Amino acid sequence: MKMVVLRRKKELKYGALVVSGLSLLLGLLIYVAIIGFFGVNPLDALTSIARAFVTPTVVKDLLVLSMLGYALLIAFKASLWNIGGEGQFYISMLPGIVFTLYLFNPEQGAAIPPFAVVLLSVIGGSLLAAAWAALAGTIKAYLQIDEVPVTVIMNYVVYYLLNFLVWGPLKGKRTFGYLRTDEIPGVYRLNVRLPMLYISDPALSFLYSIARQVAYYSSFLMGAFLAAVFVWWVFRFTKLGLYVRIMGSNPNYLRATGVNTRALAVATMALSGAMVGLAGSLYLLTELGRLPYELERQTAGYGYLAVLVAWLSLLDYRLVPLSAYIVSALRNAGTTIQVAGLGGVEQTLILIGSVLLVYSLTRFLIEYEVKVEW
Amino acid sequence: MHPDGSVAVSVRGLRKIFPGGVTALDDVSLDVYSGEILALLGENGSGKSTLVKVLYGVYIPDSGEVMVNISGRLTRVHIREPIEAMRYGIVLVSQVPQLIDKLSVAENLALTLSSLKLKGSTPLSRISRISSVIERECERLGFKIDPNEKVYNLTYTQKQQVELLRALAINARVLLLDEVLTYLPTREKRKFYDILLKLRDEGRSIVLITHKLPEAFEVSDRIAVMRNGKILGVVNTKEITLQEVRSMMFGAAAKLLANDKTTRGKARKASEGEEIVVEGLYVKDDYGRDVVNGANLVVRRGEIVGVAGVAGNGQRELLEAVVGLRKPERGTVRIAGLDVTKKGAKLVRSLGVSFIPDRPLEYGCSIDHSVLDNVAVPFSLTNGLLLKWDPIREVAEKIVSEYQVVAPGVEASLKSLSGGNVMKVIVSKEIESASRAIVAYNPTRALDEVAAAYVRQRIRDRAEKDQLAVLMASEDLDEVLRISDVVYVANSGRLYGPLDPESTPREEVEKLMVM
Repeated sequence: MKMVVLRRKKELKYGALVVSGLSLLLGLLIYVAIIGFFGVNPLDALTSIARAFVTPTVVKDLLVLSMLGYALLIAFKASLWNIGGEGQFYISMLPGIVFTLYLFNPEQGAAIPPFAVVLLSVIGGSLLAAAWAALAGTIKAYLQIDEVPVTVIMNYVVYYLLNFLVWGPLKGKRTFGYLRTDEIPGVYRLNVRLPMLYISDPALSFLYSIARQVAYYSSFLMGAFLAAVFVWWVFRFTKLGLYVRIMGSNPNYLRATGVNTRALAVATMALSGAMVGLAGSLYLLTELGRLPYELERQTAGYGYLAVLVAWLSLLDYRLVPLSAYIVSALRNAGTTIQVAGLGGVEQTLILIGSVLLVYSLTRFLIEYEVKVEW
Repeated sequence: MHPDGSVAVSVRGLRKIFPGGVTALDDVSLDVYSGEILALLGENGSGKSTLVKVLYGVYIPDSGEVMVNISGRLTRVHIREPIEAMRYGIVLVSQVPQLIDKLSVAENLALTLSSLKLKGSTPLSRISRISSVIERECERLGFKIDPNEKVYNLTYTQKQQVELLRALAINARVLLLDEVLTYLPTREKRKFYDILLKLRDEGRSIVLITHKLPEAFEVSDRIAVMRNGKILGVVNTKEITLQEVRSMMFGAAAKLLANDKTTRGKARKASEGEEIVVEGLYVKDDYGRDVVNGANLVVRRGEIVGVAGVAGNGQRELLEAVVGLRKPERGTVRIAGLDVTKKGAKLVRSLGVSFIPDRPLEYGCSIDHSVLDNVAVPFSLTNGLLLKWDPIREVAEKIVSEYQVVAPGVEASLKSLSGGNVMKVIVSKEIESASRAIVAYNPTRALDEVAAAYVRQRIRDRAEKDQLAVLMASEDLDEVLRISDVVYVANSGRLYGPLDPESTPREEVEKLMVM
């Protein structure tokens, strides 16, 4: 018996979808087998995981990870492995804190309307994250130092920089003894709160709770929609999009046609960082409302999860929301498993790891087929 | 011809369809005999390269059989990678030598032998043994190659000789030669013919792919013609004429070749406008060696300047320095009166200069992208930030139609096309996008006769009608002599010329190439 791997004559129809689905299914089976080995009832685990896919709390992660997935997809298309989404996400919160708490604090008589402050915070956050990402791009382009370790190291620089600021210059005055910044004034917060309603019908109640989540995070919804349209527009219509796509495959071709690929690398990283910055500043104004000390201990690891989202989408922008949904649900599954008393925080990692392991092994099925010959 | 009459390799009913639905081999059956030279001919995309790559294990056929003569019996085999092919004594030698430049000749051979996992000693002692094998074979075949010489120090001809030595070192019974002789100077080529005949007489089989039909007639015993993935016929070379083979290969298009009068423009009124001026140019190669030493040349508007020379004599580096892709050590390059020395490719391109590179797959295209995307890059038809896709699509469709690129459409990715058709896309987009000058290296490489004739005609048209300046280096001396208005010869870093191709005897040019 011999196993032969052949390139497909035609790419597998709906290949990305098939591979994502297959990865999820087989990954779950591996996970269940692992925890089953340690005495956890597989049925209980599967029930908890299934619940995570339909829980309203998945909405927030889905929208944030969609925004970030699109941001990283831009860099990944150019074969620039921006693993620094985490750092860019958090550094983009700095302008928001400075603008809302110090420069335009309404208690000290802000001179401009709240809308303008919010806009400034978002633009400032995007620009700062763009500059931060561009720095990694510059190091890559002009010093030929690989962007993967550089962007990861820069994440830690951001953690410690923000910790230092929160511990010192930005330390809040009304924090009840906690080490964190003050709360951002309510006029600058972007949440839309729908009233709590008692609905007896369980299906309607579930739908209403989803609607409450979507409304609460409507800024993320708008951000994710804008990110999707922007990425589609860039790759479909712009010269930059064409160059980015070609750079991911053969930068020498661009060089030979006179394109400054170094500047292109910096610009691509900056664009990716700017989109991460948009998500980060919206996250501050919508969800966090302040910066806590020891940021790295309290983050959801969005910057890293977004790497998974981009990979899982096979860099197909149409699949980013789907892969964001899968990653969000798996992350939430880790929580529901813990709540059900089936294990600790490591469950999330095993679960996501199993799915990604299968994904890494099966993604080649899109272009190749495996035949067994006797 | 095949004195013992035994079949060395046989294929039956081979079928191969590539991604995108291109049928490269369509029920191909062919026998290759021991002790014969079989010329495999066909236009671009006819399936020649696919067939030899199936024999060499680069491609796995969708269906059909490959049989190899093992101890006198034809045995069905499954060749899934080149290593397996080599174990059956089948070796492919391609136009571009597949050697590691930084290693010595003996080390390159040792690498192949160790990957074959032949029974024997450690790699180190094998190298000394290999050196003695190389010396023995060199003496037998008349090669002058030091086994300890680094490959980057060898000439193109020597590299091809090393490829042959490698094949002999593993005792190849079937040699697949894919355009190996195309760019050798005539004298070297004749020596190679003698060697091929010697190898044939030893009972080895040689399958020779070439677009140079006279070459096939000079050296082969039989000719097999392919078209659209099928074998149209196999004939004894002595029993067919060149024109008959051309008709088989190209059908009605063969008449175009008979009418191909692409020559330098005698009636042309040469403009005095100097578009490209190179003065005292010194350029180093990737290994820091001086490969262009004080080059001087001028290309005027409406003029084709051809640089002849065997590969590896500084032509690549000279052209790369002209278009701003390589920084010269000294000297100046002026384009349209502007000093562009060391100012990069962006400036040169912005002046309307296009470039067909020596390494077309590395610098001339993005193989993962569509014809449309590849065309969009040099044309760069934009409206501010936005690409004007409609006119770009028109240009791409025109190119596909006029250059007869065999592709399912302009959306097809280049990797789904045959090598010759990829080359057509690379060459055509550069020829058609130029507005001031074309700088080209081997513009008809890998093209069949009809496609090559069309490319030469378009270069001539653009020079004459659109008054472009053309600087063309080619290892095909016939091509240089045929369409150039002025000829230079590159040899060992020096540029000899200008020569008048009409009044300079070909022998004199060849002498300058190999002296």
